Amino acid sequence: MTTAPSATPTSDCFAVFGLPRKLWIEMSVLEQKFLQLSWKLHPDNFVNAPEGERELSLKRSSELNDAYRILRDPVGRVEYLLQIEGERKEGEKKQQAPPELLEEVFELNESLDELRDAKSSGGDLGQLKARLRSAENNFQEKLAEVDAQLQSVARDWDAALEANATGEARKKLMARMNELLNRRSYIRNLVANVAKELAEV
Amino acid sequence: MARIVGIDLGTTNSLVAYFDPQTGKPKCIEGPHGSTLCPSVVSLDADGTVVVGEPAQKRLLTQPERSIYSVKRLMGRGVKDIQEELKLFPFRLDPSSANVIRVRLGDKVFTPPEISAFILRELKNWAEAFFGEAVDRAVVTVPAYFNDAQRQATKDAGKIAGLEVLRLVNEPTAAALAYGLHEQRRGKVAVYDLGGGTFDISVLKLISTAEGDIYQVLSTNGDTHLGGDDIDNLFMPHLEQEIVDFHEFDVAKHPRLRQELRKAFIEAKHKLSREDDAVLSLPLPEGARHPVHRTGLSRAAFEEIIFPVVDRTMGPVKLALADAKLAPEEIDEVVLVGGTTRTPLIRRTVQQFFGRPPHTELNPDEVVALGAAVQANILDRGVSNMLLLDVTPLSLGIETYGGAVAKIIPRNSTIPASAQELYTTGVDNQTGIDIHVLQGERELARDCRSLARFTLKVPPAPAGLPRIEVKFLIDANGILQVAAKDVRTGEQHFIEVQPSYGILDSEIERMLEESIEYAEQDFAERQAIEARTEAESILVATSKAQAQPQAAALSGEERAKIDSAVAALKESIAGSDYKLMRKRIDGLNQATQHLAEVMMNSAVNTVLQGKKLADF
Repeated sequence: MTTAPSATPTSDCFAVFGLPRKLWIEMSVLEQKFLQLSWKLHPDNFVNAPEGERELSLKRSSELNDAYRILRDPVGRVEYLLQIEGERKEGEKKQQAPPELLEEVFELNESLDELRDAKSSGGDLGQLKARLRSAENNFQEKLAEVDAQLQSVARDWDAALEANATGEARKKLMARMNELLNRRSYIRNLVANVAKELAEV
Repeated sequence: MARIVGIDLGTTNSLVAYFDPQTGKPKCIEGPHGSTLCPSVVSLDADGTVVVGEPAQKRLLTQPERSIYSVKRLMGRGVKDIQEELKLFPFRLDPSSANVIRVRLGDKVFTPPEISAFILRELKNWAEAFFGEAVDRAVVTVPAYFNDAQRQATKDAGKIAGLEVLRLVNEPTAAALAYGLHEQRRGKVAVYDLGGGTFDISVLKLISTAEGDIYQVLSTNGDTHLGGDDIDNLFMPHLEQEIVDFHEFDVAKHPRLRQELRKAFIEAKHKLSREDDAVLSLPLPEGARHPVHRTGLSRAAFEEIIFPVVDRTMGPVKLALADAKLAPEEIDEVVLVGGTTRTPLIRRTVQQFFGRPPHTELNPDEVVALGAAVQANILDRGVSNMLLLDVTPLSLGIETYGGAVAKIIPRNSTIPASAQELYTTGVDNQTGIDIHVLQGERELARDCRSLARFTLKVPPAPAGLPRIEVKFLIDANGILQVAAKDVRTGEQHFIEVQPSYGILDSEIERMLEESIEYAEQDFAERQAIEARTEAESILVATSKAQAQPQAAALSGEERAKIDSAVAALKESIAGSDYKLMRKRIDGLNQATQHLAEVMMNSAVNTVLQGKKLADF
């Protein structure tokens, strides 16, 4: 006989794994827990069970898989944390370049325009492509920088949780993470656009 | 409860397998023709009888307009999707086809799930004959890259065939299950599955844990319209042209000859997997310059022509590895599945890419069905020492402003998987919110596969006030379920999802009823065969007894009675009415009762009174 999956409501992805809302997660431990819980919850174990248990298994195992998917991705994890804490704000500024990148973004867009012009007029593309490639690399480096910063704030967040920091201190950290996430998504879009233009040449 | 079988519903061949608890191994069930392969061909005789498998394959040559093959290519697809297929396959679409295709067999019209249901019912019969009991639950395999509509269509086919499909399992995953059991291997496995009409590549991780073995699919990719059929289609126009050039004869105008040419090519193709040269010969009818067309094909020339097909498989292979975040050399084992992988060029290409020889120990035709039987056993036992974690092959998205798609469940997510979206209204007193669900990797809705459209009903309220949470869930079969909840009231909304490319539940009911009618025809045929066999043995026994000296004891009247009963029975078995045959068998038994009696010596006579002649 199989035991019915427990009906306790799971509030969030961290809770599914019995984890605190910390951002550093040991992947091998997470994987092991994921596999153990999968044995218990997977619908394959409930084919001959009453409908109620079958439905519960479907619900709980989908929650488990969703949680594993979200927590496995270090950036997705931060985004998710901010969401459940009500601090994720993509805002109106999503389409705007972060101020410190303005100059480089301006140059990049110019190069992209030139590339399009050259493409339609059949001009020399070699030099432009080289310039765009170097811009792409430059932004890739910036992406790595943002990721490093995000990691550092994540460590601060974990320390703040452990130290039972005030709500205000936490909010400040989350605001910083939110800002980094927005910058990250902006740069990523930029890199993707350049890659797309270059691929079409 | 009756056992669960595993079914491989293939483009070219279908198989049914079961798990033998005695040996601890899965095994394929043989059909009445002594083969485990049931050709996926369906034919409708002029009298309305449905014929499936080998006999249908023969009818493909004799009555092509009443027969259909490769129907899997049409599953879950609309007319617009199959324009390419129509140029290459002799599908006869009914004008009523739209988002659901309807094909003609003779004067009748069927949907692809109904045709597939005939194949499933045939396999169900094989299994029932083998076990001597009813079989009504099955695990059915589908290409890993099948989308929601194609999966739903397969599940519908099961329903129409009177089978509860407990699980749809991805074909490469099933193959991995069969191989894992066979080889007891651990590590990262790539399964390359090229069948008659579909290509899949899956990357799995085999993990040993204290509870048992876990088969975790990391990624999958493929092309649901790429297979051995495509190789045939590469050669057909060329062969047809050759016949026009040499014999001034256009095979394309003769459906029957065209099928024969295809068959001859397939035989030559198979031979080229074993030998360096093959000769294709096709007898031509009168009107052609020569009576036979004969042409030689070398493996080298063959490989040059099929190279593009083989090359097309490598794109998905690379994408699957990229999604699994693995390099080719990190794969520990490579498994080849599907009849088309017998082609030496494919073996070489795969070996070169992964840098290791692929596994081919298990019969590539049977391995998927065997894996389905393993999964059937897992489901049957409730908790077993094996667990399969599969993924959804395509991203699930919803249409947003401007026809863009927001991805809510990414491809290669472990299933079951879900995503919640919160909806509200844009204008005051808006009563409905339109939702369009799509599947695919492209950015625009028009480039993705439409799964369903529905309208969320909202009570009239100021704009932005209503909050409806919609839950999209992909179940363990890879099929979408949708549920909605009013966040403020907690009230569940009933959503009627109109599938974009599916059959409505009410239609399935009707098809099931019709299919049972066909099944009764099958039943009648089986009954007739049994009655005929029984009648023949009685007739033999009667004529034997009549020749015995004891028969002289019978009166002339009795003898005349027996003779007329014999004649009546002979007449009935020439027809197909099994009820009449049964009646006449009883009649003859009655007429020969006295003969039977006198055949015994008086001592046993009294003991065995009432016994029939045929019992001795």
